[in-house]
Amino acid sequence: MIAPALRLELRRSRALVGGLVLVVVGYGGFMAAFYPTLAKNTAALDEYLKILPREFLVAFGMEGSLADPGVFFTTYVGSWLWPIVAAIAAIVLATRVSAADTDRGWIELPLATPLSRTRYLLIAIAVQAIALALLAVAAVAAVVGVGAISGAGFDAGRFFLVTPLAFAFACTIAAVTTLLGVVTMSRGAASGAVAGGLIAMYLLDIVAKIEPSLDALGALSAFRYFRPTPIIDRGEFPFGDLALFSVVAVAAWAASLWAFRRRDLIA
Amino acid sequence: MANAIEIRGLTKYYGRRRGVIDIDVAVGEGEVFGFLGPNGAGKTTTIRMLLGFIRPTAGRATILGLDAWRDAPTVHRRLAYLSGEPYFLGELTAGQLLDYAAELRGLERGAWRSLAERLELDPTVRLRALSHGSRQKVGVAQLFMGREPLLVMDEPTTGLDPLMQRVFLALVAEARAAGRTVFLSSHNLPEVERSCDRVAIIREGRLFDVRTVQGLLGEHWRSVNLVLGTPPAAGTFGLPNVELLASTGRDVHLMVRGDIKPLLQRIAALDVRDVAIATPDIEDVFLGFYNGEAGAVAEATPAVGETRR
Repeated sequence: MIAPALRLELRRSRALVGGLVLVVVGYGGFMAAFYPTLAKNTAALDEYLKILPREFLVAFGMEGSLADPGVFFTTYVGSWLWPIVAAIAAIVLATRVSAADTDRGWIELPLATPLSRTRYLLIAIAVQAIALALLAVAAVAAVVGVGAISGAGFDAGRFFLVTPLAFAFACTIAAVTTLLGVVTMSRGAASGAVAGGLIAMYLLDIVAKIEPSLDALGALSAFRYFRPTPIIDRGEFPFGDLALFSVVAVAAWAASLWAFRRRDLIA
Repeated sequence: MANAIEIRGLTKYYGRRRGVIDIDVAVGEGEVFGFLGPNGAGKTTTIRMLLGFIRPTAGRATILGLDAWRDAPTVHRRLAYLSGEPYFLGELTAGQLLDYAAELRGLERGAWRSLAERLELDPTVRLRALSHGSRQKVGVAQLFMGREPLLVMDEPTTGLDPLMQRVFLALVAEARAAGRTVFLSSHNLPEVERSCDRVAIIREGRLFDVRTVQGLLGEHWRSVNLVLGTPPAAGTFGLPNVELLASTGRDVHLMVRGDIKPLLQRIAALDVRDVAIATPDIEDVFLGFYNGEAGAVAEATPAVGETRR
């Protein structure tokens, strides 16, 4: 009984995932195609960036030369495209099977069968993980692939090392959203809380970077732990950050399963 | 006869809001049991507790001997359910949806085909393109396609046309003949009257009465209009359960409550030219309950797990 439920959840997710894959491939590929031009004009570009406020540069992760592959990826994908795409996918998928399906009444059909609540939500979590893994791979592969064609000279190995961290970052968003969706049984409330929380953490990270006296506050932001630049530029993989995201994600999903088994299925 | 469903002191509050209070019902195996009440009376809340979708605040429901909340996945192996407002994914065709439900219940894909034919349901049409009535047919096909011993349905005929309602009633009769238990929530009174052995009446979250349909109807007043060849002699209709409302020569209007046989024996001895007996339908009875006229309904024959308040 798991197979049909998994097949259906994958089917329900394919339009969203397909659309977002097009977005990450299109945007990431487009930026990678321009990278050789950026690299050739580094000096002029650096002069141009000097006229922009530091806060603006920090906000978009431009903490160094854009000709630097790590800064380039962080600026255009890591601190901009990926958080948005990951949040959209995570929020839509994570609130669907609990809050949205309960509200619509769809949940009553599968859960009136021998399929247990735990298995039903586990299937949904598996689909979230599959979708986010696909998107993370697509986002990096687009940059690396188009970069190879355009002669960007990216180190593919180091770029692909970003994938597990990007995946774990997205899974953390999905897991927390799943938990909020199960607890509130409201897609709007869960989505709003997570989106608001992400925006708040993004701003907190920027403020902490701009104002050294508030640096400690930055530790509260998930964006502090999603830093592709050292991985790409120096090959330093942040095992601690990966572990932190993984622990939060697994804990939130486990709490979701626990709550989903015990709560009333009413929106 | 063992009980397929036993509900004892079942109570549900949503915060301070009343769901149902202290419901006691037992439904025998093989019985077709109606659960009657207006919107908001607590029918769906009770059914959701039977399905283990919501947890009782107090009391307990057991299905085929298993706890409805704690053992829900095991209970669900032995029942089929049709929700009151079924939502189906619009991107699926009716056939895909039914195959999905069949696989989850451990049935063969296509187990629904004969039912789809009976219900004149085109399985190739996407659910988003189906009318409300046609989507309800999908729900009915989904409900009856297995062999589970218990069928639980919440307002199953909403949106079905009279022809399809007839098919539905035939399916319920077949389920009964196969020894399956049916728990049917409805405010469609004729449907309950035609299909159920017993009914429970729920009002404002509380169980008001449980009795046989026969008892509910049989103990009620009936109107008897006679046209006789000759005026009747005085005292002809002097029976304890008969009231003579009007007698104008050869035309007689009587009201009879309960057993009609003694009156029919008296009538048979007369020169009857015409007779019309108007049986109150269950709607009249039901409205009587809600208008506070429940006292007009006498005690019914006790049946399995019957309660009266």
